[in-house]
Amino acid sequence: MKSIPLRVRTRAAKSKKHSVQAIVAALFALLVIAASAYTFLVLKHDPTLTDLRGRLLGASTLHPLGTDHLGRDVLTRLLLGGGQTLGYSLLALGAALVIGIPFGIVAGYKRGWVDKLFMRIADGFLAFPDTIVAIVLSGLLGAGIGNLVLAIVIVKWVSYARLVRSTVLSESQKDYIRIARTNGLSDARIMTKHLLPHIAGHVLVLASLDLGKIILLISSLSYIGLGAQPPTPEWGAMLNDSRPYFQSRPELMVYPGLAIVSVVLLANMLGDYLRDRFDVKKEVQP
Amino acid sequence: MFRILLRKFLEVFIFLLFIMFVSFLFIRLAPGDPVLTILNVDELSVSQEQVEAMREEMGFNDPLLVQFGNWLLDFVRLDFGSSYSTGQPVMQTLMSALPATAELTLGALLVMLLIAVPLGSLSAVYRGSWIDTLSRMLSIVGAAVPSFWLGLILIDLFGVRFGNLPTMGRDGFASLILPCVTLGLAISSVYVRLLRSSLLDSLSQEFVRSARARGLSEGRIFWLHALRHSLPPVITVFGVSLGSLIGGVVVIEVLFAYPGIGKLVVDAIRQRDYPLIQGYILIMAVVVFVVNTAVDLSYRYLNPEMKLKEKEAHR
Amino acid sequence: MILSIEELSIAGQGRTIVDNVSLAVREGEFMALVGQSGSGKSLLSQSIGQLLPPNLHASGRILFEGSNLLERTSKEMRALRGSRISYIFQDYQGAFTPFRSIGGHFDEYQKVHGEKSSAVRKTKAAAALESVGLDAALLRRYPFQLSGGQLQRAAIATSLLLSPRLLIADEATTALDSVSGHRVLELLVAKQKETGCAILFITHDWRHVRRYANRLSVMKEGRIVESGGKHRILDHPQHEYTRNLIDAAPVLSRSLKSGLEEESR
Repeated sequence: MKSIPLRVRTRAAKSKKHSVQAIVAALFALLVIAASAYTFLVLKHDPTLTDLRGRLLGASTLHPLGTDHLGRDVLTRLLLGGGQTLGYSLLALGAALVIGIPFGIVAGYKRGWVDKLFMRIADGFLAFPDTIVAIVLSGLLGAGIGNLVLAIVIVKWVSYARLVRSTVLSESQKDYIRIARTNGLSDARIMTKHLLPHIAGHVLVLASLDLGKIILLISSLSYIGLGAQPPTPEWGAMLNDSRPYFQSRPELMVYPGLAIVSVVLLANMLGDYLRDRFDVKKEVQP
Repeated sequence: MFRILLRKFLEVFIFLLFIMFVSFLFIRLAPGDPVLTILNVDELSVSQEQVEAMREEMGFNDPLLVQFGNWLLDFVRLDFGSSYSTGQPVMQTLMSALPATAELTLGALLVMLLIAVPLGSLSAVYRGSWIDTLSRMLSIVGAAVPSFWLGLILIDLFGVRFGNLPTMGRDGFASLILPCVTLGLAISSVYVRLLRSSLLDSLSQEFVRSARARGLSEGRIFWLHALRHSLPPVITVFGVSLGSLIGGVVVIEVLFAYPGIGKLVVDAIRQRDYPLIQGYILIMAVVVFVVNTAVDLSYRYLNPEMKLKEKEAHR
Repeated sequence: MILSIEELSIAGQGRTIVDNVSLAVREGEFMALVGQSGSGKSLLSQSIGQLLPPNLHASGRILFEGSNLLERTSKEMRALRGSRISYIFQDYQGAFTPFRSIGGHFDEYQKVHGEKSSAVRKTKAAAALESVGLDAALLRRYPFQLSGGQLQRAAIATSLLLSPRLLIADEATTALDSVSGHRVLELLVAKQKETGCAILFITHDWRHVRRYANRLSVMKEGRIVESGGKHRILDHPQHEYTRNLIDAAPVLSRSLKSGLEEESR
């Protein structure tokens, strides 16, 4: 008999953890929805309208979180900035998936020259850390949020394609694909109807674990001026804008930062949940 | 061993060549005339003749193929020309900023180790205790905090409100504290979690029980047996996440106006100073190669099985 | 009486796993503790060396050479473990830390127990390996370079290195096939004859008990249901549970269950 395990994390403990997380996420969503409704339906501030007489105001009913150094409403910009950050991150993620998944399926299923070519490219990309490539590419393309998204897509699609390829490789050996093949199903049908649904879970987990990182990357690069440009209300750029006023108005530093932290936390929680849900083990962890 | 190194080197080299070529194309084809960029830096009103003369001087009027040939020759000679914005030779500029970046990076890694090793170890040894809960919470939150925001908070707290640590530039040891602590904290959350799970795995191994049964002390078992057994996964992740470390260095250097190569390259990107960007890529390629090699060598030290297997494979 | 366990209970997390057990091992004998998995026999053996997981607590008395082990500090127990009392576990691969050479283990082991001279440590290690039929050249090898059988012998050599008075073999043959299991036990018995150490053998395998044990105790759900000489228990089990266990174990030869040849009919 082996010694008794100190503590086993059971299915019940996991589901309890997840239900707590779900409540937190729901509360957060409610808060955002309520704040958005109030801001965009009642207050209706222009996010880029400067008002130098009303700059750096404290909180009031008209400006629930005050105004920034150009007199713009902070809450409005914060909420729009959330849309920006999340929107661009999802865009980058989605585009990388759209390119990576078909590439991976074809490379893994058809093998041959497609696969060889792909592996060469992937080795090259992996030989060089992706964050540097993203920085350099966005540098070569010129600073701007669009180019940053493009750079992220260029470096990220490879990792998804690789994951899909290796999953497809192991799936192709299994009986249900062999049977489908001997039954004369077309390759296209096997790839879209049989392989794609099977890899969806793995890809979803990896993508959701990446979401938080991409959000952090976009806001970091926006902070140092390589991403969203002013007057776009992006969180990292907002932090950069308000840095000179930190002594007098520290809350200008607190709001966007807390916004980034909470969104990334939620994204990581989602990834964690999906990993347990699809029971994907460490193979997916970066 | 040699063959593996050679392969790694070739991979990095081919990709480097590829990126260099892409950047060459960008320089020539990108919107915005580099000549105007160069001349604008001097804040002079520029005449059409001056632009033409500059264009001729820099060889932009030659056919593209000739330009590429010249570029390739320069590349082989490791000559990246002069910075568009300062006129200084690129390599010299970068090399003089490299020690500053190395100091910052090594300092941050030291801070990371000082956080991750005790916290990861304690939470693995005292699993389920308050310190484990605390370190788990910290690493979950830590993974979500952007490094530049953390830096801003630390600047506000220790540079302004409760202390007067230097928050800008590079002037002696004190000016390293905030940047290193910021970056070290930012990267430590990953390693705390990783070391914890890896140690938990090692400590539950049979060899630990055997060592205990032989009367070895807990300290000896931990430091000389379990910890070393837990290191390979940690080192793997270090190698894999080298990019985010370098990216983090860039952000921190900009945040603290720290004169390293990260800040140089961001300034270069803003000013479309392509020669400098190229030089940066080359240096990063060398760094990546060196770190990857070090990671490989450390595996072989930590796990003699690998070394011996390789020997047999070569026989 | 080298080891005498009196009214020992092991409990943790609101459960009592070993309940008021008493057991004695005599000087130089081969004592078997038999029970199915989950009966608490392994925990009992771990409690002797204070090797229980931290969430389990032992109460009662464990008298070894006359003094109560449960009252010893962990430092005193460390000095005792490996020198006066040593263990052999089921997993031989795990007996050695993967990145240390076999010699490194022998060396560290002796150093920890106070052998200061490196030359003496080397000679003793080589002698120990040779005494279990292995080449001393294996000292330079790493665990993964040894075969399973070599690892078993090397593990036994470490356990006997400092001439313990009590050797606790916790499921030492469970992971082995029948032939290798017997080979390990033959080795143990031979070493026992040489050194005179007592063996507490924990197992669920009747075949080994039949052949090697002097006395045995049967454990069920944390209690000892029956103890006594091998022949008495195997041939005339008193307890229902023991009887069921013996009947469930296959006996191939036409012999009495204890392995004695049947007397002429």
